[in-house]
This record gives sequence, structure tokens and C-alpha cells, in this order.
Amino acid sequence: MTADEPEPPDTPSLERRVKQTGRHVGDQYVRIMRPTGSGIRGHGGRYVATEQTMDRTGRVGRGWDATVRFLIGKRLHSDAEAEERIGVATGLPILASDNVSSSAYATEEAMRILAIAGGAALALTMPIALAVVFVLAIVVLSESRVIRAYPNGGGSYLVARENHGVVAGLVAASALLIDYVLTVAVSTAAGVAAISSFVPELHQHRVMVGIVLIAVLAVGNLRGVREAGLLFAAPTYAYMLAMYGLLAYGLFRIFTGDVPAAVTPPDPFPAEGTAALSILLVLRAFASGSVGLTGSEAVANGVPSFKRPETKNAVITLVLMGAIFATIFLGVTYLATKIGIQPDQSEIETVNSMITRAVVGAGTPFYYFVQVTTAIILLLAANTGFTGFPRLASVLANDRFMPRHFADVGSRLAFNTGIVVLSVLAALILAAFGGSVNALVPLYTIGVFLAFTLSQSGLVRRWWRLRNPGWRLSMAINTFGAVVTGTVLIVVAITKFALGAWMVMVLIPVIVALLYAINRHYQTTQDALVISGTDQRVPVYAAPVVIVPIARLDRAALQALAFARSVSPTVKAVHVSMSRASADEFRVRWNRLGTDVALDVLESPFRSLVQPLLRYIDAIDKSDDRPITVVLSEFVPSHWWEWLLHSQTAFRLKAALLFRPNTIVIDVPYHHRDTADLARG
Amino acid sequence: MQPKRILVALAGTSADPDVIRLVAWVAKPAKAEVVGIHVIEVRWNLPLDAVMEPELDRGEELLESAKKVADQAGLQLETELLQARDAAAAIVDTAVERKCDLIVVAMPYRKRLGRVYVGRTVQNVYVNAPCAVLAYRQEENK
Repeated sequence: MTADEPEPPDTPSLERRVKQTGRHVGDQYVRIMRPTGSGIRGHGGRYVATEQTMDRTGRVGRGWDATVRFLIGKRLHSDAEAEERIGVATGLPILASDNVSSSAYATEEAMRILAIAGGAALALTMPIALAVVFVLAIVVLSESRVIRAYPNGGGSYLVARENHGVVAGLVAASALLIDYVLTVAVSTAAGVAAISSFVPELHQHRVMVGIVLIAVLAVGNLRGVREAGLLFAAPTYAYMLAMYGLLAYGLFRIFTGDVPAAVTPPDPFPAEGTAALSILLVLRAFASGSVGLTGSEAVANGVPSFKRPETKNAVITLVLMGAIFATIFLGVTYLATKIGIQPDQSEIETVNSMITRAVVGAGTPFYYFVQVTTAIILLLAANTGFTGFPRLASVLANDRFMPRHFADVGSRLAFNTGIVVLSVLAALILAAFGGSVNALVPLYTIGVFLAFTLSQSGLVRRWWRLRNPGWRLSMAINTFGAVVTGTVLIVVAITKFALGAWMVMVLIPVIVALLYAINRHYQTTQDALVISGTDQRVPVYAAPVVIVPIARLDRAALQALAFARSVSPTVKAVHVSMSRASADEFRVRWNRLGTDVALDVLESPFRSLVQPLLRYIDAIDKSDDRPITVVLSEFVPSHWWEWLLHSQTAFRLKAALLFRPNTIVIDVPYHHRDTADLARG
Repeated sequence: MQPKRILVALAGTSADPDVIRLVAWVAKPAKAEVVGIHVIEVRWNLPLDAVMEPELDRGEELLESAKKVADQAGLQLETELLQARDAAAAIVDTAVERKCDLIVVAMPYRKRLGRVYVGRTVQNVYVNAPCAVLAYRQEENK
């Protein structure tokens, strides 16, 4: 029925118009009667649920609402989505904090590998850093093409799916999902490591501290993208200020001939090394330094989060991100090699901490400023995972490759399911790896480079297919990008395979298979449910056979019987009795009731209730073609804890009948305070 | 005077919150029942029960706001939306039907050539109400 069609008489309606006569002739007026305080507004069959309808009733409900409001804030209207979008200044801390923060540990990760070959090998840190920055430049250039080609976001998954097919898309998506989880785990671990550099007591509690910090980030993100950005913007800019300040002062001292004296780490690597310097070791160091490239795909994935013009804002953010990372990373690497910093074997003190100690001195306010801002940005880098994972999961859910809950938008317009699932997975991984950055990093980069390679090569095919103006330049850039990222992928896969990258390689096909299985389920369900054709009508059923299981003759049972008779003229009551004596006693009481409803008494000498009832229903079903409806009477106590005092027979029967085909189960609750008489009216 | 039932007419002006607070101040000590009404005036070229969506939306909105102000003031406010040809007649008739002993209205006014002009609704309520009428003079916007 459309809003314009008149409703049949006696149809319940939210609005009733009653004409009233006034005291004088012609003083008629219309009283518009509607349920007050319902929170539903509108008229003529078109209604809108206002925010008031979301308010829970009862003490527990109100308490829950108040807690949620305190933690994640007031509910946002769907129209506020545009206001939740971000500009370049907010987008940088939200989407680029992962990449920018990598500058805090990328140098150290490369040095840690080179130090295995002895102190002299550390001289190769700078060439490796230059190689990493070169790859980053290629990635930034290529990703800017992704942003322009796919302004609706989706990133590598969408590019790979559209140009290489579904399997490649799912491989890219799986790699990115893994990478986002690892981003959160690694960034948190690195943030805790930075804190424990100046509060060593925290080192032994690093897993617990990390889990608490993940929970804080999750709550921050549940408050919505914009608020998360505002929350995280100041620390990100403070980190940049601290690092550029440190680099400026360090370079000033070096260029004025006042080279700072090197500081010794608490647990240095042996100066002579434990392995020979080989090509493989250098490649491993490059692979570890490439950790700094992670997070650069987040901007392309999150284009729709930007204010208009989305593409332009995203590209500006991407370029700024690359420039900031490159300058800090190269500056830190230069200072580390020039001063002669060595990495700490047991990860108690970071290279950044030692550089700052050497340049400005330990215990100075600037030292603490650098350490605190580094710790905070490393934690906020995890926020890139919180931005990317839920968004990608929602895209996959809309394409029916992930459960639909991932596409549901929460009260603050954030993808709550994705945020919660990401937090749990990251916390589990953090705990499993003991909160060690060094143990987690080998797993990290492979996913992102796989996604990069797939998206770059996908774009190459796209340019070749479309041949738009300027396609040759775009194709050349993306071909070069695909070759470079593909090479890094092979290097990372080989050098880190035994260190843990194999886990990611095993996990990716498993996740792809899982996503496929989910999609197949949704396809099957859709085939079964979808209405074909436009001339479908609502089918007309015969009145069903109604079975009312009755444990004892009480008010709840009478209410269920009354309801059953209102549904169909064919009602059958059934009582399961544990003994002959109690069966006879029940029948006597039933006869006293004087009802015309037929009764079957089922004796169950093995004292089981549910199974004999199910068999009874099966038998009735076989003997009659009409659909079966089971009406259950259920007593509802006043308080939740009183549930424990009742046998929950109705609940067990409902559970048992849930998957029985062609069976309708109707629950007739009888509340403790219920005085309702269903026979009324 | 201790009113037992108060009718407050809400027109959706900026004075409404003050009127509600004034009613709360009067009603709470007397434990009086309060009903807030908003009357949508229907033009003569339309049927009396015509569905006028923008006016209905506005009416619902202002009654909801009034309820919120009343809740804050600790006042239980019942609300009702009416449609009539003449708002004053509907206000008076509702007050009679509900046996109200006080009608409270906001009184917006204009000054022209040194004289004060009050709207016809307030004047008609004053003249025709069978009970006491309390008019809240709305301050002029400075």
C-alpha cells in the first residue's frame, strides 16, 4: 500500500484525526492524536524515527546509553556524513601517520640487520636509505595515478579486481587486511618500545601496555573519523616539529664542526659481527628498511574520506606524506651514521633515543619532547590501520566477500565491527609475539608490497585497455612502479621467509578461500530468497495446524491457548507427562477446564521432554498437509537473574525447532506483572 | 489562586521556553496538570482536516522542544496538536473541554505610532475564555 492509498478500517495507525465541535457554530477543530513520547514523527504512512526512539528505557538501558555516550559520544545523524569528511590538514595525521611514523624506526630496522655483519657494515645504512626513498618516490607517483583512476577509493583491492579479476582482487584485499592488522600491532609495539626507552620499568609489561593502548585507539576511532583526526592531529604535528628541530640542530652541530659524541647502547651488537657481509644480508637490510613504505597505500584507499575535491586533496596529502617521511628518514639516517650510533641488541633503547641523547643530551626537556612525541606518533600510526581496515572490510562486505556487519555504520558513522575486530586481532598478535617490534616487522612489509604490485600492474592493464589521453606516460609510470614494487616483494619474501614472512604467505590463500566461501554463501542465499519477476503476489495460506505444548495448566498456558485459537480453528494441546499417574491427573484437570481444544497426553518414561515433543510434531506433520505452527507459552520473570530459577523449557524448544523446516514457532510471553487478557476486544 | 489544570498555548515563537518555565513556576506548587497545545490554522480554501506537512512537521518539532524544556524544568507536560480555522476558538474550546482553570499564552506585540498592537489570537482568547488568562509579554528584540 502506498502512502496515498487510504488504510482499511481498524488498521492500527500512528495518527488519528478526530473532529471536535466547539462552543459556537463553525468552531470545529481537528485533534491530531498520536502516541506521545514515541519519538516517531511524520504523517500519512511516512514516518521518521527521531533520536528519541534510540533512547533505551529501564535503569540498565539508560546506564548503557550513558556509558556509550561518554565513551564514543553522541549519536550522529546520517546527514552529518559530509561534515565527517577530512581536509589535508586532518587527513595527514589520520591517513599518513603510519608512513610518517615509520621514519622513527625504519633506520633502526636496517641498521639492526647490518650490525649482524659488524660495526663497519653500518656504513651501508645511508645507501640503503636512499634506495628506500627512491622506491617511495615511485610508489607515491604510482599511487597518485591510482587515486586519479579510482576516486571512489577501494585502493589496491578494487584496482586488482577490476583489471586482473576477482582472485587477484581478493589476494590484494587479504594482503592489505593482514597488513592493517600488523600495522596496529607493530605501531603499538614500537610506541611502547619508545616509551620504555625512557621508562625502562615498562619493558617487562609491554604486552599489557600495548593492549591498553590498542583499546584507547579503538575507542578514539569509534568516535568517528573526524573526531579521531582532531584527536590525533596535534601529536602528529608535534612529532614533525620535534624531528625537524632535532635534525636542524644535529646538522647545525655537524656542519659547524661540533660533531656529537656517539653514545653506547645498553646492549650493543658485537663490533666484529656474527656473520659475513653478504648480498643477502644487504638485501635483508633493505627489506627491513622498506618497512618505511608501509602506510603509503592508505591515502589511495581512503579517498572518499576527503572533502571535495577528494582527488586533489588526496594527492596533496600523499605527496606531503612522502616528502615528510623522506626528509625525516634521510636526516635520521645521516645523523646516525655521522655520529656513529649503533643499534641496541635487546631493543631497550631505540636508535632515535640514542641520536637525541647524543645531539641534545639525556634528561634535557627536548630529549623528552622527542621521545614522547615519537611514542605518540608510533601509537597513532596504528590509526592508519584503524582507518584502512574497517573501510576495506566494508567495501568487501558490500561486495559480499565479508560478513555484512562490516558494512554497518555505527552511531558515529564509523564502521564499528571493523574497528572492534581489528583491535581484537591486533591485540592477539601483539600478545603472541610478546610485543617485540623486531619479531613483528618481518611479517609486515610483504602484504603491502603484494598489494602495491597487484595494483600497479592492474593499472598498467587499465591504461593499455582504455588508452585515454596521456596513457603512455601513466602506463610507463605504473610499469616502472610494478617492476620496482615487484622486485622489493621478491626481496622481502626471500629474505624474510624464514623469519616469519611464510606465515603471511600461508595466511593469504587461507583468507582468500574464506572470502570466497562467504561470497558463495551469500550467492546461494540470494538465489533462494530473491523474488524473480515483477508480478509476484503475497501467497494465501490455509489456516495452520496449531500445536500448543503445555507443561501445566496455569495462566501462561491459558494465554497461549487463547492466542492459538485466534490464529486457527485447528488447535491441538499436547502435554508430556513423566508418569501414568501424572498423565491421568492432568487429563482430569483438563476436562475440568471445559475447553473444546483437543488434548494429547504423551507419556515419557525416560523423563525427556524435548525429544518426544519433536517426534510428536514430526508425526503430526506427516499426517497433515497443512503447515505446522507451534505456540509456546513462556513465563518472563521480573528480573534477569530470576531466569536462572526457571527451567527454560520454552527456550530449549525454540532452539530445537529453529532449524525445523516448514515450522512456525510463536512465543507467547507471560510477564510476571502481566494482567493482559488476550481475549479482550 | 491555585490552578488545577493549565492550558498553555504554544505558537512556536522565541517566547515559548520562557512561557513553559513560567507555567512550571505556577504549576509545580499547585501540582496542576499542564497541557501544551499548538494550533495549526487552516485556510478556508482547504478542508479542515487537510494534511499540511510542513505545518505538521513544525508543530511536532515545537511541541517536542516544549516537552524538553518542560522536562528540564521538572514539569510533566502533555502535548496536543490541533487544526482549526481560528486558533483562539480552538484554544478556548480545548480549555473548556479539559476543564482548565488557567490559560497561558505568549503575547507578541508591535508598537506603531506609540500604540501597542497585540495579535488577534491573544485578544480573542482574552475575550472568550471562561477562565483566567495569563499573558506572557514577549520582550522586544533589541
